[in-house]
Amino acid sequence: MLNTHPGYKKIKSWLRSAKRKPFPFQEEAWDKYLQGFNGLVNAPTGFGKTFSLFLAPLIESFGNEQPVKPSSKNRLKLIWITPLRALAKDIGRAMIESLLELEMDWEVGIRNGDTTSSEKARQKRSMPEILIITPESMHLLLAQKGSSEIFEGLQCIVADEWHELLGSKRGVLVELAISRINGMKRKAMLPEARVWGISATIGNIEQALEVLVPDVNKPKTIVRAELEKKIEIHSILPDNLETLPWAGHLGLKMAEKLIPIINKSRTTLIFTNTRGQAEMWYQRMLQVDPDLAGLLAIHHGSIDNELRGWIEDALHSGALKAVICTSSLDLGVDFKPVDTVVQVGSPKGVARFLQRAGRSGHSPFETSVIYFMPTHALELVEAAAIKEAAKNQDIEPREPVILAFDTLTQYLVTLAVGDGFIDRETFEEVRSTHAFRDILPEEWRWIMQFITSGGETLGAYDEFKKVILDTDGRWKVTSRLTAMRHRLHIGTIVSDVMLKVKFISGGYIGMVEENFIAKLNAGDHFTLAGRILELVQVKDMTVLVRKSKKKKAISPSWNGGRLPLSSNLGSVLRKKYNEALDENHPDPELRFVYPLFLRQQRTSHVPKNDELLVEMISNKEGFHLFAYPFEGRLVHEVLAALVAFRLSRLLPISFSIAMNDYGFELLSDQEIPFDEGIAYDVFSPKNLSEDITQSINSTEMARRKFRDIACISGLVFQGYPGKHVANKHLQSSAGLFFNVFSDYDKHNLLLRQAYDEVFYDQLEEPRLAAALHRIQNSRIIITEPQSFTPLSFPIKVDSLRENMSSEELEQRVTRMTAEAQKEDQWR
Amino acid sequence: MEINCKGERIILDEERAIFLPEHDLLVLSDLHLGKSAHFRRAGVPVPATVGLNDLARLSGLLARHKPEALLITGDMFHHSLNSDIDHFSSWRRTYNELRLILVKGNHDLLTEADYEAMNIEVHSPSFCLGPFCFIHDAPKCTEEELYPISGHIHPGITLQGRAKQKLRFPCYYFGTDFAVLPAFSLFTGLSSIRQHTGDRAYAITPGKVVAV
Repeated sequence: MLNTHPGYKKIKSWLRSAKRKPFPFQEEAWDKYLQGFNGLVNAPTGFGKTFSLFLAPLIESFGNEQPVKPSSKNRLKLIWITPLRALAKDIGRAMIESLLELEMDWEVGIRNGDTTSSEKARQKRSMPEILIITPESMHLLLAQKGSSEIFEGLQCIVADEWHELLGSKRGVLVELAISRINGMKRKAMLPEARVWGISATIGNIEQALEVLVPDVNKPKTIVRAELEKKIEIHSILPDNLETLPWAGHLGLKMAEKLIPIINKSRTTLIFTNTRGQAEMWYQRMLQVDPDLAGLLAIHHGSIDNELRGWIEDALHSGALKAVICTSSLDLGVDFKPVDTVVQVGSPKGVARFLQRAGRSGHSPFETSVIYFMPTHALELVEAAAIKEAAKNQDIEPREPVILAFDTLTQYLVTLAVGDGFIDRETFEEVRSTHAFRDILPEEWRWIMQFITSGGETLGAYDEFKKVILDTDGRWKVTSRLTAMRHRLHIGTIVSDVMLKVKFISGGYIGMVEENFIAKLNAGDHFTLAGRILELVQVKDMTVLVRKSKKKKAISPSWNGGRLPLSSNLGSVLRKKYNEALDENHPDPELRFVYPLFLRQQRTSHVPKNDELLVEMISNKEGFHLFAYPFEGRLVHEVLAALVAFRLSRLLPISFSIAMNDYGFELLSDQEIPFDEGIAYDVFSPKNLSEDITQSINSTEMARRKFRDIACISGLVFQGYPGKHVANKHLQSSAGLFFNVFSDYDKHNLLLRQAYDEVFYDQLEEPRLAAALHRIQNSRIIITEPQSFTPLSFPIKVDSLRENMSSEELEQRVTRMTAEAQKEDQWR
Repeated sequence: MEINCKGERIILDEERAIFLPEHDLLVLSDLHLGKSAHFRRAGVPVPATVGLNDLARLSGLLARHKPEALLITGDMFHHSLNSDIDHFSSWRRTYNELRLILVKGNHDLLTEADYEAMNIEVHSPSFCLGPFCFIHDAPKCTEEELYPISGHIHPGITLQGRAKQKLRFPCYYFGTDFAVLPAFSLFTGLSSIRQHTGDRAYAITPGKVVAV
């Protein structure tokens, strides 16, 4: 079909004139598209995946009559959804170039948080043919009056980097938007838009397609590039083991080791895991090698858009030697000069590591080079594990989010703010998505009540006003204030209140969290975007600063979530620990940390693959129980709560709980009743669901999940960076709502979602059950070291803690105050 | 719990109010009447039971201490008139004999006529009695020889024990320079206070007030 198509002839001659030849997977994608298929293109970056889909509707448009008469309103033909704003510009540029060369008069528009309001207004009058958009802006479009007619001529929706969106609630936003657009088209008797995704390799690529195109009756296909990218992985080893600390996540001590790598490469991307870490590394690198000034830049999500754009341009032109960055540069169009990548600290997953590696040596047949820089000694074992998992292409799946009632609540109000919606019709559309195919009619009714009358108990919610039934039978938001507030907070990324940072002389630098600035006084110094700034004052949600000549300052920390270790990596890691004490293994990393393992073996024990190590340590701080299942921090959080709960049933006791990716700690002021006799019962898979439910109830896990849910569903209004909270009288916190609903509205669906999210997302119940079965068949080894071991130390210093208690509150308070008084006497 | 402050007895009730026996006066702060309805009107579903429960707690306090007067040190009303306030008005009629004194807070924006209709005696910026000056926001107090008793900040305190244990409670704060009462309404958050030497704080734990 493709070869005879008039459009393809034109594309082919254009490619030939540029001395280019399409990859077979591109031709396959074009062919399937022309046949009316939906699908997913699976290709590594740098192989022209954008063209595999962007050119498809172009080919079709040649010699094809349009089903709808074009008007200024319905020009839109292709919607291109990208997860990152930064990608839009580069993709748009590539598209415009091709369109020019092909002499096509299609216009390319960009719509996201950075788009000016005048541009948005122009788009409202007349849409471009191609619109590059984020999932959030997609929903903002649906929240516009008269949005239905702009999709009349739409032929295709592409979800770029679909693997990034799939595992989050942003993926649900995409699913819902597609269901609405195609629902409107079906109703208007127009052909539905074809839906395509582009995805890197993940463990569940078939499911990724099913989520995007859930209708079993639609023709769909996966187009695989079958092109393998060569990757070279090196670990950076310190000169001696003592240089590496036992715990920590910054890794600044080894900064010198990067200089030769940077020097011998053209351009190096240095990935850190957090924005705060990036700021510190930037300062450190300049101290280590002042010659890097001007050649080194920093790039992360809290740096002002304009500055970031400037850095990206400099990356393209090769003007920079190195850029320290975070996930903000994980995705997207490649920077040609980049030939080396450094990963500082564990990337926590194979997929992410490979993705970052792929940012170097991007052209189809070049090799990607990535260096792994450990931040503490045990991370070297992780490096060995990652290398092995990467070699075996043991890549994690991304689990799609289901039944996200908070996102659905937000979406329904979004529709009500726009042209309104019809109850039954939207229910059918929503139920056709993968995320909500199991939604029960009573759950739908609950959400409808939640947004129309406030809740199920009538009378308890009098005066409630949000979504009302209009005379035309559609549910709408009529209050302009409510509509405005809703538009301001569409989206599912929840962050703390952010303030813009601006020079007193003008010019924005970026954003910091309100909590961070609240701790500073005028005249204090902090770093942002690699600059040292002096705080002048905070005014109208803006932090005013001036440049400072000081050499050192504190770096802000942004409250990004910590990434948990994936289960794939966890099992390879267990295997590596197994090998750590043999001297016959090929990993240089393991050979290097060998002395540390000897020490662990001498003071306690090195767990083998079929063993679970438990260390009982008592010291001034209290009584510690450390256990090492190697299942990743999310599973450990639940497992620790479960073990604490089961122990606390034996006697009244209070625990403080900490965990990392290797294991967890229970700390108590009383001796912990744990020995061989009960070890297997405590780690038993028996009565698992029941015990987990009870242990989740007695910790703060669900309350923490509720924080995001309250924001997404519109209970808590956070405001926008640099904008005033619309109404001070509506300020409240998610925790308060959690209490109120727990006390007065137990059947609240959003409350249930919080518990479900702990239960299903975090805990991955099958994974926990599997771990417990594994432990039942293992030997549980209990040791009593005199002091902290190389394995326990990193957990002990972790500051994120959870509490669990079976003691009477009153008793705890009495004892705590008695202790405090005793201490006072000593002072 | 009973304490002595500036030579007078003060009873710290576990329901977030203080009783001064010498003056037969019950004092509380930050009642935030109408807050739940204000949220509902704006499309944020908060059940009305939240507000009704606060009134029921207040009735309980009146039954326990049988005061002649009730003093509210500010933020009695959250925003404007609404159904929650209607509930309060009818509640007020059943306690017609009670003298109700309001020291205005930043949230109290009703009209004089509204206060009058609910039989509320309004003072601004403060109401002084014996050694005390009741005011919404302590730093604004100008009565230098008197001890300010205030509200406004919804104080909370964190107790720390051995083995990294932590518990957080609303509290009464009696500092060297001024006192702060906890927010009476349960639909309020907490802001942590720091204790300096000479300051006394009392945590309100379920069922008991504890000196910390």
